Amino acid sequence: MDYALQQLLNALAFGAEYSLVALGLAVVFSIMGLVNFAHGEIIGVSAYSVFLAAALGLTSPIVAVLLAIAAAALAAIAFERVAFRPVRYAPTTTGLLTAFGVSIVVQNLFMLLISPKPQSVSILNGLNQMWFFGPFAVSSLQVMELVVSGLTILALVLFLNRSTLGLAIRAASRDFATVRLMGIRANRVIATAFAISGALAGIAAVFIIARRGSVSPDLGFSLVLKAFVACVIGGFGSLPGAAVGGMLLGFIEVGLLVALPQEYGGFKDALTYVIIVALLVYRPEGLLGQRVELGDKEI
Amino acid sequence: MSQAIENTAPVAVIRPGGVLARSLVGGLLTSLPVLVVGLLILNFAPTYYTFLALGAFVNLIVVVGLQVFMGNSNIANLGHSAFVGLGAYGVAILSTPLAMKKLSIPNAPFGFATLELDPVSSALLALLAVGILALVSGKVISRLSGVAATIVSLALLIIVHSVFLNWTDLFKGNQAFFGIPKVVGLPWMMVMSVVVIVLARLFKDSRWGLQLRASAQSPQAAAALGIDARRLRLMSWVLSALICGLAGVLYAYFAGTISPKLFYFQMIFMTLAMLILGGMATVTGAVTGVIALSVGLEFIRSIESGVTIAGIQLPQLLGLSGVALGVVIVLCMAFRPSGISGRYELDELLSRFFRRTQ
Repeated sequence: MDYALQQLLNALAFGAEYSLVALGLAVVFSIMGLVNFAHGEIIGVSAYSVFLAAALGLTSPIVAVLLAIAAAALAAIAFERVAFRPVRYAPTTTGLLTAFGVSIVVQNLFMLLISPKPQSVSILNGLNQMWFFGPFAVSSLQVMELVVSGLTILALVLFLNRSTLGLAIRAASRDFATVRLMGIRANRVIATAFAISGALAGIAAVFIIARRGSVSPDLGFSLVLKAFVACVIGGFGSLPGAAVGGMLLGFIEVGLLVALPQEYGGFKDALTYVIIVALLVYRPEGLLGQRVELGDKEI
Repeated sequence: MSQAIENTAPVAVIRPGGVLARSLVGGLLTSLPVLVVGLLILNFAPTYYTFLALGAFVNLIVVVGLQVFMGNSNIANLGHSAFVGLGAYGVAILSTPLAMKKLSIPNAPFGFATLELDPVSSALLALLAVGILALVSGKVISRLSGVAATIVSLALLIIVHSVFLNWTDLFKGNQAFFGIPKVVGLPWMMVMSVVVIVLARLFKDSRWGLQLRASAQSPQAAAALGIDARRLRLMSWVLSALICGLAGVLYAYFAGTISPKLFYFQMIFMTLAMLILGGMATVTGAVTGVIALSVGLEFIRSIESGVTIAGIQLPQLLGLSGVALGVVIVLCMAFRPSGISGRYELDELLSRFFRRTQ
């Protein structure tokens, strides 16, 4: 029982993290059709700013958390301004390849300017403790991941549904031209979307640093690949789809960890992707995506 | 847009045999610079440059293979180095001498530990394996829309890489797989490059290539004309994978030693940057990009390893070549998304040029 509960918590925590990152990707994609491969490097910038701040003498974990989120949001806005604005109206493939290029540049800049080797950061290790609830021992980090992700998603939903800018963002994902005709600035909508996406990545970065206690140039890359896969299962561009896809991915991974014998543990990632590709054979448009026939009118 | 139609219109009225001959000649013309560079290196360059050139030729074949899918279907493929790796490991497992295998993979399953084939049949079997993987993965990828197809191609890369790493009995895991017979030199590499370039050009100009390019531009109009875009995407995916697999086979046969990390993101970054810089719409673009970036990267690598300029020793700058690749991609996408060569093949450019001067 204890073991089952522990694994359930594991799956929820992994899933929550994937959902956070996948949501960040989906917010940007739904508005401007950009497949943001550089999302992992936003996480990277956030993590390296915490590393640098700690190296310069920052000791307060709360400030470090705030710094991580702010740095990620700023990095996202900066990427948009520098790299993605010139390709805003270009075809999807152009944007995708641009983002891929940005991701390579930033990853290699970390290598070039800091170090190709992982650097230790201990400032957020305090988040990762064991909590005891009667007979149960749970990792504080996993509980926090679950709670914080839940709250963040709730806040995002409220923002998108209640605020004018949120409404504009949702409307822009349907028809950007009309939103601009209503007197809303395109740049502001897109910058807000990137800031949200960055802040979500920053929260993920906090958890990554707390769990690993170190930063490395490719730290966000594999996580973002998984988040992409989560988006694809959920239906690309759909926000609920991203959240559901992330959770599902967490459950598949932990399920495989439990089911696979120890010596085959290395095949976990491969099998996860195989299962997902198999899912896509049956639902090419994703679980919550809509089957769009050619020539359908946007509703 | 109207200009494009105007320029391609004369091709349509030429009789079918003429089109074939024209694209054959065009392909040969495109491979001419490659042949010239190859012959120069073969005859004049020191051994170190020959080795570099062999690497560049492998990249050339990979990039041309990538162009076959990306250029015609306009879907980004980020998983092609999985096929390069499978081709290389295929011949490594089949053709490595038994004495070497006792050292490297003594516990290989399916009797591979006691099997030693000649290089040609190993290559054919390796390509068969690549073809089967391409057919299976292509079935999924051709059904998906652009973005999802790209992500699945990445997932394919990760699946294959993780199998290389973890199936240690067969692929030797993270360690280098050595002892593959070194049977390929520069002449063979040049012949294969020309074959591949001509093949890519023939596919591009064939009925299927034309239909696929049409469906990439306007899926709706193409479907209305009865074009089965899925089947064509599958076709170009398999052809592209086979060419990439061939590149892997050739790499294994000239280097003699391979390891999984050669066929991972590093190769994807580099070949993708080459194709984008040259221009992915044409085979000429693929060739141009490889030549330009191979030279450029070699220069950057020499700086990267720490050089002495005017008596000042620069430190090692690891990651500089990566930054350069990324910058090339970003700048190209922002300022010239169609790459150096743009829309026209070399022969089309030349004939336009001469028509104008007449």
